[in-house]
Amino acid sequence: MDRRTFVRGMCYGGLATFALPVVRFAQVPGHGKMVFVLLRGGFDGLAALVPIDDPEYAAIRGGMAFGASDLTTIGDGFGLAPGLAPWKTLWDEQELVALHAMAIPYRTRSHFAGQAILETGLDRPDGVSDGWLNRLLQIMDGERSGIAVAAGMPRSLSGAHQVTSWSPAELGVVDDAYVERLSLLYRADPELHDRFEAALQMKEVAPEMDRMGGRGPRGQMAPIMRAAAKFLREPGGPNVAALEFSGWDTHANQGLVGGQLDRLLGQLARGVLTFKEEMRDEWANTTVVIMTEFGRTARPNGTQGTDHGTAGAGWVIGPNVAKSTVISDWPGLAERSLFESRDLRPTLDTRAVLKGVIAGVFDLTAGQADRVFPGSGDVRGLYDLMG
Amino acid sequence: MDTTLRALSRFGLGARIGQPENVPDGRRWLRDQLDSRQPAREGVGLAEVASVLRELREGQRAQDRERLMATQRRIREIQGGELGTMLSARIASDTPFVERLVAFWSNHLCVSVAASRQVAALAGHYERTAIRPHVLGNFTDMVMASARHPAMLFYLDNVQSIGPGSRAAQRRGRGGRARGLNENYARELMELHTLGVDGGYSQQDVEQLARVLTGWTTSGAGPGSRPDEPLSFVFRPFVHEPGAKTVLGKRYQSGGIREGEQAIRDLCAHPATANFVAGKLVQHFVADVPPPRAVEEIAGAFRETGGDLKAVALALVDLEEAWSPDSKKFRTPQDWLVAVLRAFHAEAAPEAMAQQLRQLRHAPWAPAAPKGYGDTRREWADPDSLMNRAELARNLARRWGRRGIDPRRLLEVVDVPEQDPLRTLLADSDIPAAERLALAVGGPAFQWR
Repeated sequence: MDRRTFVRGMCYGGLATFALPVVRFAQVPGHGKMVFVLLRGGFDGLAALVPIDDPEYAAIRGGMAFGASDLTTIGDGFGLAPGLAPWKTLWDEQELVALHAMAIPYRTRSHFAGQAILETGLDRPDGVSDGWLNRLLQIMDGERSGIAVAAGMPRSLSGAHQVTSWSPAELGVVDDAYVERLSLLYRADPELHDRFEAALQMKEVAPEMDRMGGRGPRGQMAPIMRAAAKFLREPGGPNVAALEFSGWDTHANQGLVGGQLDRLLGQLARGVLTFKEEMRDEWANTTVVIMTEFGRTARPNGTQGTDHGTAGAGWVIGPNVAKSTVISDWPGLAERSLFESRDLRPTLDTRAVLKGVIAGVFDLTAGQADRVFPGSGDVRGLYDLMG
Repeated sequence: MDTTLRALSRFGLGARIGQPENVPDGRRWLRDQLDSRQPAREGVGLAEVASVLRELREGQRAQDRERLMATQRRIREIQGGELGTMLSARIASDTPFVERLVAFWSNHLCVSVAASRQVAALAGHYERTAIRPHVLGNFTDMVMASARHPAMLFYLDNVQSIGPGSRAAQRRGRGGRARGLNENYARELMELHTLGVDGGYSQQDVEQLARVLTGWTTSGAGPGSRPDEPLSFVFRPFVHEPGAKTVLGKRYQSGGIREGEQAIRDLCAHPATANFVAGKLVQHFVADVPPPRAVEEIAGAFRETGGDLKAVALALVDLEEAWSPDSKKFRTPQDWLVAVLRAFHAEAAPEAMAQQLRQLRHAPWAPAAPKGYGDTRREWADPDSLMNRAELARNLARRWGRRGIDPRRLLEVVDVPEQDPLRTLLADSDIPAAERLALAVGGPAFQWR
């Protein structure tokens, strides 16, 4: 069966399955799935994973400091913000790794530059580079596939390796004859025809999802996470998914318990738990990574918010982490410890975490993981993070 | 692609059926548009927006739910009205090149209605008054108008920024809530509006520029405002950081509003700005990976004329790269939908258009970040988007097909080679006419400009 007949078989035979790599799926070692969630805007790590035992914490955060009783204590001296309290179950089940004082390898307080660094996986800005998830797919010899479940194609997944995308918009009813004729037209366009074929495959899974609530109101994360799970758990479904949520740039009125940021964290917490439930048996093979482009200033700004900072927090979630733990070489919040006297100092490189995760999820060697993050050879991957 | 069709789609907003034969010289058609008179656009004025925002504040203070909901309805009406006017203008315009320039600069200096209710109520006014009048004028004037417009002052938080050493900060420090410097606008002014992210500025420069710009705010908002004030730019010395500042190695003596005005002029005249802006323009009009020679050409025109945007637009038309058969641009969702409606001879924006653009991930004035919407196939040509367009094309063709458009005539507005299967399909009377219309605008050829 050549590629064309295979794809058409899927489109019109009603086989809900994915992309060419599926044909060889049985020969691929390991069945790991990874979801990369990018929280765009730079979420405030100090308000999400709170260093409650740091002697400087209360003073430096002033009116924006949580009390110990607001938090769910995990690990040594850290507490989950109230919105993240539902993750206590993940912690108790040895499925939650919290990361702190973590930063991208390049110092910038620009969303644009910071997201570009995190998404390309490089250590300096590069206007044309592929995303690191795409590079990961390339390094795995095209035997696995990726999907963006997002309102666009995140840079992390963009690049030379063909990937698919999905968002729950449906803009009109089409019949098979029309789609088949369009398919014929797209065959004459060398640049677009693969993309259109990928779209046809998505449509096989999508209709069911359009009825389940779609994208939902702005900022609602659970429906998107549920949709991602439905794609990933399909037999032969994608191995890598990129998701993104915005709204984390809390310059003003960030709030405390039940405040602006805490509500977002609550949505995130529910989103992850919804995802876990929806993955069903496939959860056993799945790892979720949550990161952001930078943390925020240690001190509140003048408008009850925080400005763009440096190090922040993140999470790796799933049954295949070695154990629940907080990974942080905590630099402290004393004035002399702060980066440029204002931000949490970075002591952990995002690439060290990501290399550890992909090595564990996809059975990669350290050398292969290094190739996903060019220039990271001197950054040791956290290869004991995954069990 | 022939020159006429390329002019109509590459620099314009797509051809109408019957139009190409009336445009004998594509380049000339474009140049003539730059000489046309562009009347000011009407819309909701600042006085009305001010009264709505006042109502919003009072509703919030009184925690009056019904009043708040009525106010939010009013804001949605204002926003929807402005949006309809703008989209209709793009569909009906006889100077679509000028409309493209408005859209480009509006995205370059973007605000987002998603950011706050204030910006939602002001975004239309912002484009009409701060962007549109300057697209064939001077770049510095446009950036200055943007810097002074309430929409931008709200969007990037400058209304909240207070000099740490200002009288306002000292007074607040003793009483009410402490407020201070907010560097958001200063950063984006350098990174996104002028120098570009590689423009050679430091965190120190950002902080200093933020101090320079303290006091740039609007009446009717922020500290020192009275509730009955109109909504307009105001400089408040009371909020301004005293003392000299140094930005990009240049010292700005304590001079109130003049510090900021001079700093903006200096940023606009900086060589990095010409390069950054030229790169974006060439990427928008010519190719996803801008040819360096073309960028240098446009940057040169920008520098030599001191940022004369009409001269820059003419230089774009003169770029040989823009007319090369090898260079293709993937239409953004907004440009694609407008081109479809123009092809079908729509007179104005259909009611559903704003919602459709949201579903195509390209709602006007609503980018997710201050960098604005992207411009390349990397952002827009993903599989799901192609299917969204195919679905919407079928939907639109059902409606517009009732007007009895001959599907074969769509070959006038979509460029396909002699042997392309679209030619056969459009002539195939076994296929319903409406479906043939959809194949023309939903198929691959129409996605390019």
